[in-house]
Amino acid sequence: MKSLFKKPATLMYPVIAREWQERTRGAVAINPEDCIGCGMCQRKCPTNAITVDRNAGTWEIQRMQCIQCAHCTEDCPKKCLSMDPKYTAPGTEKVIDTFEIPTKKPAAAGDDAKADGGGKVKCNTEECVYCGLCAKTCPADAITVDRGEKKWEVSDDCIGCGACVEKCPKKCLEL
Amino acid sequence: MAKRTIIPFGPQHPVLPEPVHLDLVVEDETVVEAIPSIGFIHRGLEKLVEKKEYTEMVYVIERICGICSFGHGWGYVHCVEGAMNVQVPERAEYLRTILHELGRIHSHLLWLGLLADGFGFESLFQHCWRIRETVLDLFEETTGGRVVFSICKVGGMNKDIDNDTLKKIVKTLRGIEKEIKQYTDVFIEDTSVKNRLCGVGVLSKQDAIDLCAVGPVARASGVEQDIRLAGTGMYQELGFEPIIEEAGDCYARCKVRIREVFQSIDLIEKAVEKIPDGEIDAKVKGNVEGEFITRMEQPRGEAVYYCKGQGTKFLERMRVRTPTNMNIPAMVKMLQGCDLADVPMVVLTIDPCISCTER
Repeated sequence: MKSLFKKPATLMYPVIAREWQERTRGAVAINPEDCIGCGMCQRKCPTNAITVDRNAGTWEIQRMQCIQCAHCTEDCPKKCLSMDPKYTAPGTEKVIDTFEIPTKKPAAAGDDAKADGGGKVKCNTEECVYCGLCAKTCPADAITVDRGEKKWEVSDDCIGCGACVEKCPKKCLEL
Repeated sequence: MAKRTIIPFGPQHPVLPEPVHLDLVVEDETVVEAIPSIGFIHRGLEKLVEKKEYTEMVYVIERICGICSFGHGWGYVHCVEGAMNVQVPERAEYLRTILHELGRIHSHLLWLGLLADGFGFESLFQHCWRIRETVLDLFEETTGGRVVFSICKVGGMNKDIDNDTLKKIVKTLRGIEKEIKQYTDVFIEDTSVKNRLCGVGVLSKQDAIDLCAVGPVARASGVEQDIRLAGTGMYQELGFEPIIEEAGDCYARCKVRIREVFQSIDLIEKAVEKIPDGEIDAKVKGNVEGEFITRMEQPRGEAVYYCKGQGTKFLERMRVRTPTNMNIPAMVKMLQGCDLADVPMVVLTIDPCISCTER
């Protein structure tokens, strides 16, 4: 009998929309201006939902394949990925969202960076302690550090993201 | 002697939430033998460890089951942490314990709803699931997901839950406790419910031990077995006694789960009182080398996790043994001699999760 006089437990959707929580993992959102196209999100995605094409300057996500685990947002070196509390709208087709990302290096990693080559990272070997933290951080696996022979090398794979510069404990790296 | 007939039951059946097939050999209305078969929902998740990094694999393992997803994620990371000898901070262990117990409450409320649906008590089913929504909302607020939480990682937790939110969880649970009691009393006291459950599908203590039953099925037959007391998480700090019933019938299994809901609320309150401040994750270096095996008490019973690595970022082997896998022989034993109309009740009271079992 009591239930007759209570409010309904359900919402009159879609007239009354549900309020999402701050932490709700609805869909992956990107701030394309900050993206440097390092491809870390693509490599970390457990379902291969993200495709980053540096040459074409695009960042793609297959919405139906994404499982909203937020793994990409945690590993993004520039923190340009985040979780939007709102879910992707339901639909009958598999949605692929494409975002244009800057093909040139952003100013955040250094204004003096070479615009054409993206600006390779340089090491001041006099201060370097060859700890190898830069090599571990590098999303493109472009840095090789040999502590025994005191060798620090960077290959052409360097994308100039600046992740290693931020991590370096001796601050001997620069772009 | 009555003529024997074989009735196929499942994999699609109105009372079955999961795809299991039973060939029921019946004499008149009595089941003489039940031959189970599974294999309708295999997804090959264990094989994926060869292609996904061990840190990514937790998101796959969580998707083994939509009900005990946190438990599976925790079991996996605990296994990997054991193999890598990672010491997880105490706060992270407390947070895991709290979320795991919340998962138990939501799993048991879901099961009570399904049971009510099974014996045709539709309004009771709806009420159980309505209360469960409150727990799902708590999950969404704290972890960001209602079903799959993605908050556990190797070495600790992805996100912290602040102490005010934890106190709010306890307050909310204490708020719905009275309501839960109101509806679980119907399961315990209502005559029509008792008629469907009492004396149905009896599993003796000896049979439960011989057939290696686990979880609430074993505890309802008087077997004192609760892996929570074996060391995982902070349960030993919280101090509790496993809930035991002696009758071994469907009613006893229902009572064990009902009492466990209230026990979980108490455990969460104790954990929130004791949770220390501090770090929520430990640094994890290198890859898994060697092997490790661990056990977890999921809402349905004991689950076993095994991992083996050879120093690469991919594991070589991962194995999960789920509670339903162990309870199927006990279910077959319970079905022998029961009425055909009671088969759904017996199958439901082991709380089968075939998706877990087949992974």
